[in-house]
Amino acid sequence: MDKMNVKKILSVITNQRAVLAIVITLIVVAFNNNNFFTIYNMKTMLTTSSIYLIIGFGATIVLVAGGVDLSIGFNMSVSGVLAVYLMNNNVPISLAVLCALIFGGIVGAINGYIVVYQKTEPFIITLGMGISLLGLGRLITNARPIVAENKAFLNISNGMIFGERLNLIYFTIIMFAVVHYILRYTSFGRNLYAIGGDYEVAEYSGINVRANKFYAFVLSGVIAALGGVLLASKFGTGNANYGLTTGFVIYSAVVVGGTSFAGGIGSVPRSAIGLIFVYGVLQNAMNMLRVNSYTQMVMTGIIIATVIALDSYSRKRIREKV
Amino acid sequence: MTRQIRLGSVFNTLLKEYTIVIGIMVLVLITSIVEPRFMTSGNMINIMRQFGPLILVALGMTFVILAGFIDLSVTGQLFLVAVIVMKLIDPIGQIPAMLVGVAFGGLFGYFNSKVIIFSGALTQAEALFITYGLSTAYIGIGQMISNGKTMNMSIDLTSSYSMFQYVGLGFIGPFSISFVIFLVAIVILYFFQSKTYMGRSVMLTGGNKTAARIAGIPIYRSITIVYMICGIMTAIGAIVFMSRATTVTSAMSIGLETDVILAVVLGGTYLGGGRGSVLRTIIGALIVILISNCMNLLGITIFWQDITRGAILIIAIWLDAQKNN
Amino acid sequence: MDNKNNNIILSIQDVEKSFPGVKALDQVSIEIERGEVHGLVGENGAGKSTLMKILSGVLKKDAGTIIFDGAVVHHTSPVESQRMGMSIIYQELNLVHTMSVGENVFLGRFKEMGGMRGTHTKAKTLLDSIGANLDTYQLVDELSVSEKQMVEIAKALSFESKLIIMDEPSSSLTQDEMDKLIAVIKQLKEKGITIIYISHKLDEIFELCNRVTIMRDGHVIDTQLTTDITRNEMIAKMVGRTIENEFPERPKCDGEVLLEVKSLNTHKLKNVSFELRKGEILGFVGLVGAGRTEIVRAIFGADQVKGHEILIDGKVVKIKNPKDAMNAGLALVTEDRKQQGLVLSFTVEKNVSMASLDRLSKFGILNKSKEKDMAQRQVKGLNVKTPTILTKVSSLSGGNQQKVVLGGWLETGPRVLILDEPTRGIDVGAKYEIYLLMKEIAESGGAIILISSELPEVLNMSNRVLTVYEGRITGEFDPLKTTPDHIMRNALGMGEEEQNNDQAN
Repeated sequence: MDKMNVKKILSVITNQRAVLAIVITLIVVAFNNNNFFTIYNMKTMLTTSSIYLIIGFGATIVLVAGGVDLSIGFNMSVSGVLAVYLMNNNVPISLAVLCALIFGGIVGAINGYIVVYQKTEPFIITLGMGISLLGLGRLITNARPIVAENKAFLNISNGMIFGERLNLIYFTIIMFAVVHYILRYTSFGRNLYAIGGDYEVAEYSGINVRANKFYAFVLSGVIAALGGVLLASKFGTGNANYGLTTGFVIYSAVVVGGTSFAGGIGSVPRSAIGLIFVYGVLQNAMNMLRVNSYTQMVMTGIIIATVIALDSYSRKRIREKV
Repeated sequence: MTRQIRLGSVFNTLLKEYTIVIGIMVLVLITSIVEPRFMTSGNMINIMRQFGPLILVALGMTFVILAGFIDLSVTGQLFLVAVIVMKLIDPIGQIPAMLVGVAFGGLFGYFNSKVIIFSGALTQAEALFITYGLSTAYIGIGQMISNGKTMNMSIDLTSSYSMFQYVGLGFIGPFSISFVIFLVAIVILYFFQSKTYMGRSVMLTGGNKTAARIAGIPIYRSITIVYMICGIMTAIGAIVFMSRATTVTSAMSIGLETDVILAVVLGGTYLGGGRGSVLRTIIGALIVILISNCMNLLGITIFWQDITRGAILIIAIWLDAQKNN
Repeated sequence: MDNKNNNIILSIQDVEKSFPGVKALDQVSIEIERGEVHGLVGENGAGKSTLMKILSGVLKKDAGTIIFDGAVVHHTSPVESQRMGMSIIYQELNLVHTMSVGENVFLGRFKEMGGMRGTHTKAKTLLDSIGANLDTYQLVDELSVSEKQMVEIAKALSFESKLIIMDEPSSSLTQDEMDKLIAVIKQLKEKGITIIYISHKLDEIFELCNRVTIMRDGHVIDTQLTTDITRNEMIAKMVGRTIENEFPERPKCDGEVLLEVKSLNTHKLKNVSFELRKGEILGFVGLVGAGRTEIVRAIFGADQVKGHEILIDGKVVKIKNPKDAMNAGLALVTEDRKQQGLVLSFTVEKNVSMASLDRLSKFGILNKSKEKDMAQRQVKGLNVKTPTILTKVSSLSGGNQQKVVLGGWLETGPRVLILDEPTRGIDVGAKYEIYLLMKEIAESGGAIILISSELPEVLNMSNRVLTVYEGRITGEFDPLKTTPDHIMRNALGMGEEEQNNDQAN
């Protein structure tokens, strides 16, 4: 039995290109900076990446089912804007947050309806949705960040429990558990794997492929909105421009973790590692090494292109197996 | 009886096929009634001017889409080429700088295609992410070169910058220079698409890669060529753009890729590849410009314009998918 | 009467099904008795798969009645037919490869099984009951073909199926795995489950089945107890007699060697060597998946090869991609014309010119009038029924689409024309025209490689026939001097055994 487990762990590690990437980055940084391996820095790293982790868990749901929703970035920023806007107009915090989550779900539902029921390619559709959302966000805020007047709102992300400001990390852990449970143990989650793995077999097996995939989009939308609320609470402002690159980067990070564009493969823990690498370790390491923001941009771009290229390259190798 | 049904269905397909065009005609009509400024010669010149960079890039993108791919890196390329050209004006002079810029455009396109071919990314989705990543990298490089600052071109009729001024503001007869560049480009590209071996190869690659390869069509060379065309057209677009704006900032190309894709799709080129034409893209680009022109004149905010643009993109693809299902 | 009806679990009565240009099933009637293992044999294209797809609800029948377990079956979906108690195990297994064994057994029914834990426990019980010792948490992707088959059988059992249809379950099994499968089938039979067993391997039919139904060309030819029929009678009924006028007289061939292929190896092919003479039509006979298509694709440079040598006119030619092959004078009409032969959304003209595009252009510029002439020449020459050459090929019938593909390749002036299933899904008239064309090409000094699943076609058109089995060439025959049965046996991999028998006699 022990042997089996060791084997399993080994195969998990070999499958995890992200683990390798993290280790390499850590080694490089360790030689150049002493502050990297401090508890404080670890906390910072987790806190900065927490919101993107949460949204990435949602993206994993859609990706596993063989879909993509590139509008999650703007869904995030606009939901945050909406929550702040409503609060500033005397809507109670809880209701405002609820409205934001519902809004996120509606956006996901529209994407899901057009992609799943109207059989369109998700990429450009959700890209278009992103532009519309950006416009909507700027319309609400007049293209300026809006500050939350009710300071209690800031407690959602910055409040103290057990004497430390770790709310965002708690949220991340909760969402990790929830989404992991959904994907791993519920019949809805397992059906999504079947749909992403082989759409036709899933359909022949009596799974309601359309409804399940549709709900994956809705769920991902709600989770993106949750991320947006947390982000707005963290900074105390709603800003329509927050999500400019988020959609692409999150999906790339999820693929780094080992979830494939082909669908049917992937899990929340894997995505978490990919997301921590891109949003936590890499970002933090570049800051530590005083890489300027433009070089960081170049690095991010190259990483996205390389990750996706390697993902398709591995599939090409399988296709051409001689 | 049957004739009636046929007429009905013909009307239906017409309505479906041209839903968006009809919608925009209505918009133009309303604008021209409500807003007398629309029909002034000043506004027409304005429209012709806006025609420049957008349509040039859209013509290039048309080929990438015809071959069944997509290129989001036009955003980064446009900015980076502009930065390079700006940097080179003083050391090597204006016209050499422009030529080098165009050469760089071709080079970026070549590089994009090699990454895609190497990784075997034969679907549009993979190409979408790869070119997005490359776009980000191009913008980053551009920022590194320009130190993240706005680069200015001092405008002085007698100075060495007059060549750019000519491109930006000059006229040949009744046509602006950018319009003339567009005319030359469209003639060459249409010729390429419809009369040459490689043009046909591009169409066949987009139509059915497997069948094209079996029939000895050079599909990989086709992919390289379309990305290079897109890069070159983007570089020309960059030069026209900077000539007119006389400044270069990373903000200059934000949202370019969606406007360009919108122009191609609205023109009626099939997003899946193999069907469409550069001529159609002219109409598509015209529509994109008319939308923003009319909305500007009607006093609709830029925010609402963004919302509308996204919605139109979604609807256009949706209708296209219905046609093909 | 009642008693008899009760004894019949599945009654197929006068079922018909047509596809454009082909009648796939013609008045098919079969009765399956409760608890028997019923064999179903026939050549490729005899209609077995179509019948199975109708039973499972994937296809809809045009006419006829199906009664299962006393109730008339209307058009259903695969799930519904499974829930009625009728499961099909397909040749291409219907499993989600990225999921675990247990989940595949209960795909889409996790909730009914009491979540993940219930799913895995119940799957384990089912797999154990058929003696398959599998870890239910393992991914299906990591299983061998026979293990996957066990998962499929467990899945069928999970529906408490009364009838399990197995479509060529043994086609890719080793002997050991086959023995296991036979044991499982016998076990199922003891439990009172009825099985329809489709196979090309007649040994298995005799070992497993009580009765056997033989199909040919969409008809049921005969149903017999396996004890009442000999192997040779069975083969004779599968192959049938050919109608004389269906094929033109075959051309004579006495030319010199044109193409020589030496030790062709890929992941699927083992040491394939053969030669082809001028004016010859060389037929390849074998089951679907035996490696016929892989051989010609490898020669044509469409797939990767591990090492081989190709000689034309005695000189070595390097073929790395289709373009090289075309330059060497080869042409390939692929088996799947819609996926690999045509650009469906393009016009007839553009499809005809596709393979000759480089010759139509000078300095990279297309000569449009030459292209038009070319298309018109082929449309006229091959009698393609199309309104104009500017019609989209997608709107043509199968036969005319195939002529467009052929016309395109003829324009390249090939010396060796490779035809992979050239008459699949084509009506009789167009078939005859294609046969005449083949004859014409051979007589004018070209050479043809013909792959076809229709045995009569290969036997009547070819000067020489090679049998292919599991990636190897198992025999070479002169169709005029050999009986169809004998060739068929070699294509089924039974050639060696027969030789042994001959020696024993």
